[in-house]
Amino acid sequence: MSERRTLLEVEDLHVSFATGRGQLQAVQGVSFTLDQGKTLGIVGESGSGKTVLSRAIMGLLPLSSTTQTGSVRYDTQEVLNAPNDELRELWSTHIAMVFQDPMTSLNPVQKIGNQITEPLRVHLKLPKDEAKETALSLLMQVGIPSPVERYGAYPDQLSGGMRQRVMIAIALACAPRLLMADEPTTGLDVTVQAQILDLLSQLQHDRNMAMILVTHDLGVVATRTDEIIVMYAGNIVERAPTDVLFKSMSMPYTEALLNSMPRIANPSHTRLTAIEGRPPDLLNPPAGCPFSPRCPYAQDKCFKDKPPLVEASPGHSYACWYPLGTTEASPAPAAAPAAAAPEEATA
Amino acid sequence: MTDAAVKPAATPEPKPEHVSDPLLSVEDLHVTFQRGSVAVQAVAGISFSLRQGETLGLVGESGCGKTTTGRAVVQVERATSGVIRFNDTEITAMSRHDLRTLRTQVQMIFQDPISSLNPRRRVTDIVAEPLTIWKIGTKEERRNAANAMLDRVGIDPYLNGNRRPREFSGGQCQRISIARALVLEPKLLVCDEIVSALDVSVQAQILNLLEDLKAEYNLTVLFIAHDLAVVKNVSDRVAVMYLGRLCEIAPSDVLYEAPAHHYTAALLSSAVEPDPESTRTSIALGGEPPSPINPPSGCRFRTRCPRAETRCAEEVPELREIAPGHQVSCHFPIGT
Repeated sequence: MSERRTLLEVEDLHVSFATGRGQLQAVQGVSFTLDQGKTLGIVGESGSGKTVLSRAIMGLLPLSSTTQTGSVRYDTQEVLNAPNDELRELWSTHIAMVFQDPMTSLNPVQKIGNQITEPLRVHLKLPKDEAKETALSLLMQVGIPSPVERYGAYPDQLSGGMRQRVMIAIALACAPRLLMADEPTTGLDVTVQAQILDLLSQLQHDRNMAMILVTHDLGVVATRTDEIIVMYAGNIVERAPTDVLFKSMSMPYTEALLNSMPRIANPSHTRLTAIEGRPPDLLNPPAGCPFSPRCPYAQDKCFKDKPPLVEASPGHSYACWYPLGTTEASPAPAAAPAAAAPEEATA
Repeated sequence: MTDAAVKPAATPEPKPEHVSDPLLSVEDLHVTFQRGSVAVQAVAGISFSLRQGETLGLVGESGCGKTTTGRAVVQVERATSGVIRFNDTEITAMSRHDLRTLRTQVQMIFQDPISSLNPRRRVTDIVAEPLTIWKIGTKEERRNAANAMLDRVGIDPYLNGNRRPREFSGGQCQRISIARALVLEPKLLVCDEIVSALDVSVQAQILNLLEDLKAEYNLTVLFIAHDLAVVKNVSDRVAVMYLGRLCEIAPSDVLYEAPAHHYTAALLSSAVEPDPESTRTSIALGGEPPSPINPPSGCRFRTRCPRAETRCAEEVPELREIAPGHQVSCHFPIGT
């Protein structure tokens, strides 16, 4: 391992989209850093802003319809709102991305060989035969059987898992230092998911590459990340090293998310703790904590003031007025209704 | 709501002497799709049964035939061979007309909640439609029944009854689908991946709702899904499918605790759990499932099985009971 070095720095990033009904605030002031060679998990449900965040970091959002403020620095270079030709220098050779849907992300009328050699020829200016050689070795590395035959195959001749491996091969072609993986295993079968996640971890380790794993599934990030960011309604609500997060989660949303997952370890017919209600409307975000309308512990203050993300212990930050495990948090009433009236005034 | 008007047609006569018989039994079901000269054996001889009030989980990976099995149970897909009995009536031999009547008692809920609702119709009308088709009650009564059902699944009919599906989230659309499926008070519900498109927090809401409704309406459920944790949560028994055949059926706690089939074990070891201290090491399965057009001889899992021997290629392992209620189709089950 090389020395600790910050590779990516995101500071107070805001992203909003112009819609017919007003500005949709998809990301509302997100800050974090990622060191070289580390894995960061970004967890959230749909609409939490996790995908918009990852696309903003990649510079993939259309500048015409989005407003992006704040700063995203890759290795001290500002990439937010950077012109495309500047980004092209970074893409593939420095930052690469694996998208969720391998069917629609691959070009259906191009042989997969051409799709892997394209970044090699464009960015690394490799001659044709050398590019092909590299592509074949990449196909081998991502575990595709008989790479020579697959090289000339079209995406529809491959299964979903194989296509995702091709996506990974394309992303890794130019040896990036940061890999963004947005739901890389959603939609894949469990055994294939395990294979792909193992493959990503192994390649990351071999290449000392930093990785951002964006997912809705706490299970995917639990054993494969160094650090986890939990997002809710465009905000980071908790951030901690992975083991700390699972041991002492402080934000009620993180706990609720974990408790709503069915677990294999639990007996059948175990009642799940659902989070009642729905995430807030991002066109009109609530004044207080975005989770307060669904939070079983919410008190007066939560509805009025938005809690800042504060670092409570080294590396562990959360945005909550009454974090779990503190005496201030009042016990939840059983089955708190959504938007429950606050129970008591706070000090 | 009344189901007085949905009496089954006269042809299939009930046999009262077999009251303890299962509500649904599937015997040696084959479903083969013919594509030109190529035959795809989606389901290749599976047998199972469902008792009244029971939930059977059906798990497997894509292409294993679990969805086709579910569709054959509601007879959307006709069986190539084999027998499906519902309430002692052989539904595989039914005419189209009789099948229509059957469908009042056997309902299905689909994976994609938004595309399975008609985008042009209002939700109250969507939920009332089964009643309209069967001309049950007056228009007023149907409307009230639909509203009551919507209310039961957590959609406010007075606030939202006149809205159209696109105005709802995925979870709400799935609630509406459930309401539509239950408005005729069916006996058997086939749920095909009903929560896989939903967020975890919404998934929990829908699974809890399903458990409540199951008790309330005394439903029998065939729950098809790929998510092992979800299946365990709702099922009394679980059946594992691989490439058109059943590997194992057991009470869910037994299956997850002590899987006997090597495929079940591999599947369980691949599941990710939200626990950083999870010591589970995944049993790496080599390669991909073979093509159902040209399945391997003998045991269909043998090409990827760590325990495969020559016998596995020569002889098809039949589903046999290794403990009460625990059936496995393997020549060398784990733990023997």
